[in-house]
Amino acid sequence: MSSSQKVVVTCRVNGEDHTVLADPRDTLLELLRDRLEMTGTKEGCGNGNCGSCTVLADGVAVCACLVLAGETDGLEITTVEGLTANGTRHPVQQALIEHGGTQCGFCTPGIIMSAVALLNEKSKPTDAEIRHAIAGNICRCTGYEKIVRAISSAAETSATARAEV
Amino acid sequence: MNDPGQIDWSQKNSVVGKPLPRVDAGERVEGTAKYPADMALPGMLHAKTLRSPHAHAKIKSIDTMKAAALAGVKAIVTSGDFHDVPVGATIPMGEAGYDMWMVSVINIARDKVFWVGQPVAVVAATDPHIAEAALALIDVEYEALPAVMSIDAAMAPGAPAIHKHVITTGLEPPAQVPSNVCSRSVIERGNADDAISSAAASAAIDTTIDTGHQGYIEPQAMLAQVDSNGFAMVWAATQGQHTTELMISRMLDRPQSRIKVVPVEIGGGFGGKISIHGEAACVLLSEMTGRPVKMVMSREEVFQGGSGPPAAARHRIEVAAEADGTLTAIKGLYRQDCGGLPGLPPSLMMQASAALYQAPNLHLEGYDVVTNKPRTEAYRGPGGIQAYFAMEQAMDSLCQKLDMDPVEFRKKNAAVTGSTMPIGTPFPSIGLTTILDAVSKHDCWTSPLGEGAFPRGRGFGLGYWRGTSMTSACHISISGDGRPMVTMGSADISGTRTTMAQVAAEQFELSIDDVLVTMGDTKSVGYSDGAAGSRLARTMAAAIVEASDKALAELRTRAGRLLQTEPQTLTYERGVFRAPGAAQGGASISLAEIMQATLTDGAILETGVSTKLPLGVEVAAHVADVEVDTDTGQVTVLRYTAFQDVGRALNPTAVEGQIEGSVVQGLGWALTESFDYGDDGRLRNASMLDFRMPTALDVPPVEAVIIETPVPDVPYGLRGVGEVPIVPVGGCVANAVARAIGARVPQMPMTPERVLKAVKGR
Ligand code: FES
Ligand code: FES
Repeated sequence: MSSSQKVVVTCRVNGEDHTVLADPRDTLLELLRDRLEMTGTKEGCGNGNCGSCTVLADGVAVCACLVLAGETDGLEITTVEGLTANGTRHPVQQALIEHGGTQCGFCTPGIIMSAVALLNEKSKPTDAEIRHAIAGNICRCTGYEKIVRAISSAAETSATARAEV
Repeated sequence: MNDPGQIDWSQKNSVVGKPLPRVDAGERVEGTAKYPADMALPGMLHAKTLRSPHAHAKIKSIDTMKAAALAGVKAIVTSGDFHDVPVGATIPMGEAGYDMWMVSVINIARDKVFWVGQPVAVVAATDPHIAEAALALIDVEYEALPAVMSIDAAMAPGAPAIHKHVITTGLEPPAQVPSNVCSRSVIERGNADDAISSAAASAAIDTTIDTGHQGYIEPQAMLAQVDSNGFAMVWAATQGQHTTELMISRMLDRPQSRIKVVPVEIGGGFGGKISIHGEAACVLLSEMTGRPVKMVMSREEVFQGGSGPPAAARHRIEVAAEADGTLTAIKGLYRQDCGGLPGLPPSLMMQASAALYQAPNLHLEGYDVVTNKPRTEAYRGPGGIQAYFAMEQAMDSLCQKLDMDPVEFRKKNAAVTGSTMPIGTPFPSIGLTTILDAVSKHDCWTSPLGEGAFPRGRGFGLGYWRGTSMTSACHISISGDGRPMVTMGSADISGTRTTMAQVAAEQFELSIDDVLVTMGDTKSVGYSDGAAGSRLARTMAAAIVEASDKALAELRTRAGRLLQTEPQTLTYERGVFRAPGAAQGGASISLAEIMQATLTDGAILETGVSTKLPLGVEVAAHVADVEVDTDTGQVTVLRYTAFQDVGRALNPTAVEGQIEGSVVQGLGWALTESFDYGDDGRLRNASMLDFRMPTALDVPPVEAVIIETPVPDVPYGLRGVGEVPIVPVGGCVANAVARAIGARVPQMPMTPERVLKAVKGR
C-alpha cells in the first residue's frame, strides 16, 4: 500500500460527466464523497452490509462501497443529490418527511435510493415487497414501519401523478 | 410572518401535541444534512488510529520513526503527548460526575492495553490511505498478559487482577487486595430468603446476556482545527457539545475558553456518543501541524474496541408470592461486565429492575466486574433490558405457577404513586396502573393468538427507567423581523429541534415555521448537559418556557412604550400586542413592528436554564406474539404492541418514532445481536453482516400505544420518552417464547441454537 499515484477516472453522475484524478484504491463511494464532494451518500460500514451508500447504477440499486471507482466508466450513476429536480423532491423524499420516516437521517439517502429503484420497477408494491427492497438498508432509529408507510404512500402519489398526466 | 390562521389559538397547546414533520427533515432526505464525515476544510489532514491487537498487555515501547518518515505523514501522537489524567478524576455530569480517567483511557492507552482495539497511537496524513499505511509502520512492543474474557472468569478465585487499583468496595470487612470485582452493592428490605422458603409459590431464573452494541449507523467522526492563537474548533457528532469540550479540555489540560465545540448532525448515538473517541487527538494533531484534522472511524473500529458496547450480564432473579398472587419477595443477584475499566456501580440498575413491584422483602445484590473487553458505554436505559430480561421472566414463571394472568398479577402488585421504591423513598407520579388497565382492554391482549404452522405464544413484559434531569440551557433572541430564535445548549439526537420549536411556537403563539431552533456551539450558549437519560425534551422545554417568558416581558415593555400604554394592560395574542379596546380600532403592534422600531435600543437576548426538574419516571408495558419454529429454533415476532405513558406527547410522530425504533433495537438484542469474543479477546463478528441487527424483513410493524397522564411540576407535563421502550423487550419476547415452547430460554439473544436447546430440553 505504498502507491499514492493517481489515476484518471471518468464517470457520469446525475446526468453530468466528470473526469477526476482518483486513487486507484478508491471505491465509487470515495469517488463520490471525496473527489466529487457529493456527500449525500453515506458510509456506514464500507463493506456492503448496511446499505447507507446505496446509489443507482443504470437504475439498479448498488452499494457504492463495493464498486471500484475505476469500474464506473459508462455507467449512469444516480445519487440522492440527483433526485431533487428544480426544487421538487421525489415523492419518496417528500413522503419520508411527512411520515416521520427519517430520524437521525444517516440511513435515509440509501433507503431513498433503494425505494426509488423499487418504484421504478413496480408502481404498486406491497408492504412485503417494500420491506424486501429495503432489506439491505439497516436503519437503527425508526424500526422501519414509518419508512414502509412512506414508501407505500409515495407509490400512491406517483401513481396519481401518472394518472393525471 | 406565516398566516397563523389555520392554528386555533383559543386552545392552549395548539402546536404542542401535533404530529408535525421534523423541521430538519428536508435536508436529511435531500442528502444535504452535514455530519462530521461530510465536512472538509482546505489543507485538511486525515487521522487514523493504531489499535491494540492484544486484549491485555503491557506496552513496552512505541517507535513511530518509520511511520513518521512515510511521505504524506504529518504528525503522530501517543500517550506521552496527552496530559496524564489520574484515576478518580471526574468532570461534572449529574449527581456522580463522569469518569474522566475512563474517558482518557478509552481515547489513548497509557502503559497498558486492556482490550483489543484500544487506541495506542494516532497518525495524521494528507490522505486516509497514507494514514492507514503509516499505522503498519509503527512498532509497538507489547508484553502480553493473561486475558479475562467473561464475568465468571473475572470473578473466579485466583483470576489475574486486571487493575492494581481496583479493590472491591462495599465488602464487609473491607477488601484488601486488588480483584476484578469493582464494587458490591446491596439493597435489603425485610428477609427475602425467609419469605421465599415459606411462600406458596416461587420461581427463579438464571440468565446470561451477551454483549450487544448500540449499532448507530454513523461511525464516530470528527474534525478539529486549531488556529495560530491556539484556539481549537471541533466539529463533532456528539450527544453533548459542552461535555465534549470538558473532556477535550481535561485530556489536553488546557482551558475550556480555548476550545469551541460545534455540534453537527449525529447519525445515531443511543448513549454511545456521550464520550469523545478521538476528538482530543485530532486537536493535538491539528495544533502540531497547523492544519485541520479529520477522523472517521471504520465500522470495524466501531465494533472492535473503538467504541463502548453496553454491558454483558449474568442476572439471577428469584421471586415468591402467596397463593392469591400477592408478591412477597424479590431476590436478585446481578453481575455486570463493565469491560476493561471499572464502570458505574450497579445499584441504580438493580433498583430500577425491581421498582415496578411492591415487594415487602427484597434482597438485591450486585457486582460490577472488569474483563478484557472494550469499556462499556451507555445504551438506552443502561442495564435496563438486561435486568428486565431476568426480572420479567421470573415474574412470568411465577404467574404460570400461580396460574394467574400476567397483567392481573402485575395489577395486584404494581407500584403506585407514593408506594415505597426499592431505595426506600416514595414513588413520584407513576401511572403504572393506568398502563396495565389499557393493556388488559387492548385487542393485542384480548384477541385470540391464532394458529400457525408452529407453536405460538403471547408474552407480556414491563420495563422501568429512571430518567435524569440535570441542566439544560437555551438562549432566545428576537430577530429584526420579530421571529424568536432559540439556541439550545444541547445536541439534537432525537428530533429535539422540532419538539422545541413546537414549545417555542406555543409560547409565542406563532406557527412552527416562525421560530428557529438551532444547536448552539459551546461559545454561544450556556452550559447544558448532554442529550442522554431521557432528560432533554423535559428540561429544555422548561428552559425555553423561562426564556420565552422573559423575552415576551421585554417585548411587552417595548410595546407599551411604543403604544404609549401601560405594558400590563396590553393583551398578547399570535404575535401582536393590543392596547385595551383594540378591537374597537385601538392601537396594536406586532412583534415585527416592535423589533423594527426598537432595533437600536439593543438586542432582546434572554436565557433559560433548567436545573431542578424532578427525575423522570418512565414506565412501559409490552405485548408480543411470537411463533417458534421448533425444527430450527427460529423465533418470528408476529405482532408487537408497546404501551407507554409519556405524560404528554409533544409530537406524537416523534414519540412513536422513538418507541418503534427502540423496540426494534430491543428485538435485535433479544433475538440475534451478540458480540462473539474469542478467548484471545478479539471480536469475531466485527461487521454488520455477522453482528445481526434487524432488517425490515425481520420485524413486524410495532404499534405504539401512547398514554398521556401529565406529570405535575413539569412544563407540559412531560415524561422522558426515549429510553424505557427498549427495557421490556427482552423479557417480553422471552415470555412469549416460553409460552410457545413450554420452556425458558435463559440466554439473550435467544438465537435459534439456544431456542432449539430449550425445545429439546423440555
Ligand atoms: S457503506 Fe456500503 S453498504 Fe455500508
Ligand atoms: S434514521 Fe437513523 S439510521 Fe435510519
